[in-house]
Amino acid sequence: MAKKFLLKLLVVLAALTLIAVGCGNDDDAAPAPAPTQAPTEAPALEPTEAPEPEPTEAPMDDGVIAAFVFVGPVGDAGWTWAHNEGRRFAESQTGATTHFAEDIPEDGPDFRNIVVDFIENEDADVIFATSFGYMDAMEELAGEYPDVVFEHASGYKMNEDNFGNFFGRMYQPRYLSGMAAGALTEANQIGYVAAFAIPEVLRGINAFTLGAQRVNPDVEVHVTWTLTWFDPAVEGDSAAALLEAGADVIAMHQDSTAPGLAAQDAGARWVSYNSDMSAFAPDAFITAPVWNWGPYYARIIDAVASGTYAPGAYWGGMDDGIVALAPLAADVPADVAAEIDEVAAQLIDGSWDVFTGEIRDQDGNVVVAAGETMEDGPMLGMEFFVEGVVGSATG
Amino acid sequence: MIRPVLVRRDRVLPATQSLGFVVGILVALVLGAILLWVSDNSPAEVYERMFDSAFMGTDSLSRTLERTTPLALTGLSVAVAGSMGLWNIGAEGQMMAGAIVATGVAMMADGLSGPLLIAVMLASGVAGGMLLMLGPALARSHLGVSEIITTLMLVYVAIRVVEWLQVGPWKDPGSLGFPRIEEVPDQASLPGLFGRVNIGALIALGLLIVFSLAVSRTAWGYELRLAGSSPDTARYAGVSLRRKVLTALLLSGGIAGLAGTIQLTGTEVRLTPGLSNGFGFSGIIVAALALMRPSGVAVVAFVFGAVQVGGQSIQTLGVSSAISDILQAMILFGALVAAVFFNYRIRWTGPVGESSGEELEEPDIAVEGA
Repeated sequence: MAKKFLLKLLVVLAALTLIAVGCGNDDDAAPAPAPTQAPTEAPALEPTEAPEPEPTEAPMDDGVIAAFVFVGPVGDAGWTWAHNEGRRFAESQTGATTHFAEDIPEDGPDFRNIVVDFIENEDADVIFATSFGYMDAMEELAGEYPDVVFEHASGYKMNEDNFGNFFGRMYQPRYLSGMAAGALTEANQIGYVAAFAIPEVLRGINAFTLGAQRVNPDVEVHVTWTLTWFDPAVEGDSAAALLEAGADVIAMHQDSTAPGLAAQDAGARWVSYNSDMSAFAPDAFITAPVWNWGPYYARIIDAVASGTYAPGAYWGGMDDGIVALAPLAADVPADVAAEIDEVAAQLIDGSWDVFTGEIRDQDGNVVVAAGETMEDGPMLGMEFFVEGVVGSATG
Repeated sequence: MIRPVLVRRDRVLPATQSLGFVVGILVALVLGAILLWVSDNSPAEVYERMFDSAFMGTDSLSRTLERTTPLALTGLSVAVAGSMGLWNIGAEGQMMAGAIVATGVAMMADGLSGPLLIAVMLASGVAGGMLLMLGPALARSHLGVSEIITTLMLVYVAIRVVEWLQVGPWKDPGSLGFPRIEEVPDQASLPGLFGRVNIGALIALGLLIVFSLAVSRTAWGYELRLAGSSPDTARYAGVSLRRKVLTALLLSGGIAGLAGTIQLTGTEVRLTPGLSNGFGFSGIIVAALALMRPSGVAVVAFVFGAVQVGGQSIQTLGVSSAISDILQAMILFGALVAAVFFNYRIRWTGPVGESSGEELEEPDIAVEGA
């Protein structure tokens, strides 16, 4: 790969030298009209053998073409990276052909255009869109292309035929990661770098805080809002500010590794998110609540292939494996690690869930009575902070 | 030591400039082909896809025009200020200001019939853009504060205001706790023309024609250009510089505000912090490529829109977004560089004694006389 690239680079440099040494009075001799050859692509209906591109190790090509639209770059190591890993997993599992586009803004015409391109030019059968802001456009497109399946992560809209949404109970591993963080903070102050004040993020902060309080009742979680999902500079600065203010552990609901780098620089600790980011700040890393989208993607692609797809509002938990906890750092106390395993087992067998009372909000009002467990509806629309969180739940 | 110095050409025909534009893009495409080849993509396939998705077929053309509309309006906004040497860097923020005021008006007046509501929203959008520009314009005209800084800073203020509105006073109670502003009423949608194109395109075209004529053919436009190129002469001729600065900047802000409102009611369904979508900043490039002439803005905006639509679509072929961004930037950069070389020529200046005195008088800075 790298070798091939270097070779090509060398050829280009040699060519440029030749041009420079030669006369160089002619600009547009070569490629403009382009040496044809491309348009012969055989479209779909020929599932036997992929023409030649891409070393697809097709176990049993089911002929489905799936296209993914990502809001960030696949190299973010976070949210989009995790989705892209899911795409690759689903491709190897199902033998489907997959395409993706990255860095597509939520607003403006880009999202719509790229989806239409995938459908019209690449014959996509199913579109996976992985950011909340795509929701309105997905709904509209699902109406325009009734034969294509639309699956939207993190939204709440759907229809009866070809438009579903999916998400995971990230609050479960968040709670577990809070337990580990609560055990390791010495200042009893944890800084939480958070993107936007939406229910998903509030739910995560609350779950994390409840987990930390379980092992350390004195802990406080200080929240700052960055108003961006992916902006390493802002994320890093926010973490640095929280550390400056006295926190010795940083947690985050962000897509980059920047908060971890800030924590490591300050000699503090870090709970990452989205994926196991231990490699980026090994001294700081404690653990991470992580996404595992692959099996869900594979399931949807299989359903599309077999014609059994029916849209739903999927909200899977640790029992389904779509969310999980990354390995714990070695210095998490053994008794806490054992308790984490115990709670994880309860979350998986369904005998207990995170938002079980008694839970009070920031103002001391009881929001979940003792012995009761919050229903999905209120959880999905969560708008408050639990006691122990310092910050504003409205951003 | 021999040094290159750029000297403005005496007379540049519009045909020469257009040729420069085309040559620049062609050179960039050649370099882009090398980039694509090195990054393991087929240049022929990629260029074919770019061209197809930007021009061929109704939907393609309508996509390009969908982008051309806001680019033309923000380009015009920057060019109006630019014709008198002022830089409106904040069209992005004025777009938001326009959309904010228009959304507010729509919330209060959603009982109005479609055409009336649209007219009121468009007018209030212009007012919103002007409102955000009022501070920078007054600071520039009366205190001499650089409008470059003030207009830019207000971009972020405007975006933050939208973020505050959507978690605070304008939060839609029907959005399940998600901070979003309510959709604008259905009857406020701009009527469509074809595909993704709505009458916003016609409004933009009309404004471009009006401003081209106004700047190049009227006494008002002459005074504007005079005030920009030679303030002393203008003052001697009795032109009020203060008033000219104020008018040019307010018009510039108003046009950007209109661009934001047309996005709001034409292509989007609600006000979001991402509504301006970079169009305001792209307008600066559009205006610069059009050499600050309203007449050139339409063509440049169309080409710019096509490059964006085409550049984006090639991701479906497996080209990474980074390569696609570089390719788009190269094409625009090629056009920009060509524009420079068709308007300026290089003169090599030698050490003292080897060159004529005339050449030594050339100032050191790379570009002069702009």
